[in-house]
Amino acid sequence: MKIALGCDHIATDEKIQVSEHLKQAGHTVIDCGTYDHFRTHYPIYGKKVGELVARGDADLGICICGTGVGINNAVNKVPGIRSALVRDLAAAVNAKEELNANVIGFGGKITGIFLINDIIDAFIAAEYHPTEESERLLAKMAALNTSAENQESPDFFDEFLEKWDRGEYR
Amino acid sequence: MSVILGSDRYGYELKEVLKKELLAHNYDVIDVTETKDYDFIDASLAAAKLLYENDGNFGIIIDAWGSGPFMTLTRLKGIIAAQVSDERSAYMTRAHNNAHIITIGSKITGPELAVRIAHAFLQGSYEGGRHHIRVDMLNKMGRYLPELKEG
Repeated sequence: MKIALGCDHIATDEKIQVSEHLKQAGHTVIDCGTYDHFRTHYPIYGKKVGELVARGDADLGICICGTGVGINNAVNKVPGIRSALVRDLAAAVNAKEELNANVIGFGGKITGIFLINDIIDAFIAAEYHPTEESERLLAKMAALNTSAENQESPDFFDEFLEKWDRGEYR
Repeated sequence: MSVILGSDRYGYELKEVLKKELLAHNYDVIDVTETKDYDFIDASLAAAKLLYENDGNFGIIIDAWGSGPFMTLTRLKGIIAAQVSDERSAYMTRAHNNAHIITIGSKITGPELAVRIAHAFLQGSYEGGRHHIRVDMLNKMGRYLPELKEG
């Protein structure tokens, strides 16, 4: 399977451990960054993972930041993405089975790496079981998808990065 | 500040536990789902509408797993939501993400923990500063839905 990974600088080490775990199991990893511990911003990486999965360039995505909240908000704001932020196998498996989740999210400083990897294995193995109720809910959810003008552009966040460079976010 | 509570039928009982607890602590509680007849999407959208109306409002949505309301709320422009099952994530998401609403799964989180999560979330406060660039980025994504927010 082709799996897109994203993280912020707080969870880079966990992301690399996940990447190695996936490769060991024979999966192809698309690592969207960040790649080191230099301070950066989780929406950049959540958006990248979401766009790869939404376009079908990756089968699934995994998004990790400190609590997982920030990066999984970003990925879910990409139309077509359904990410659950979980801490156990039960919720991860349910998210795939009932909600056809295509991204799974973690707090890299909340959940230990052994558990994270177990959850990922269970999430990959689980399958969506469509029911009348689940199809109704997913269609209703899809109707809420929106995208800002130019959202897919790699320059979408530049105005804020320029503000950051000017020291306006202290 | 009001605390908006909402649930589907799987979260109804835990929502009632939180309602009782928060009222006992003198929070102004608005229950957007007084019956069990809502799905998690309608519960989430009713809460989102009240978040849009007043920046000082905070919300808690409860269903079976927390995932459905999280997927629903995070799709909405300007809404930052957190799916939580621990107290630390509950206060950290206020501090760093400026989240205004959390989702809890009644099949994952028991009543004692849910009560502690609710208090941790409601007592948190946003740090701003360097965290605000990320919040600005999130809030630029998507478009407002006219049925939820005017303008």
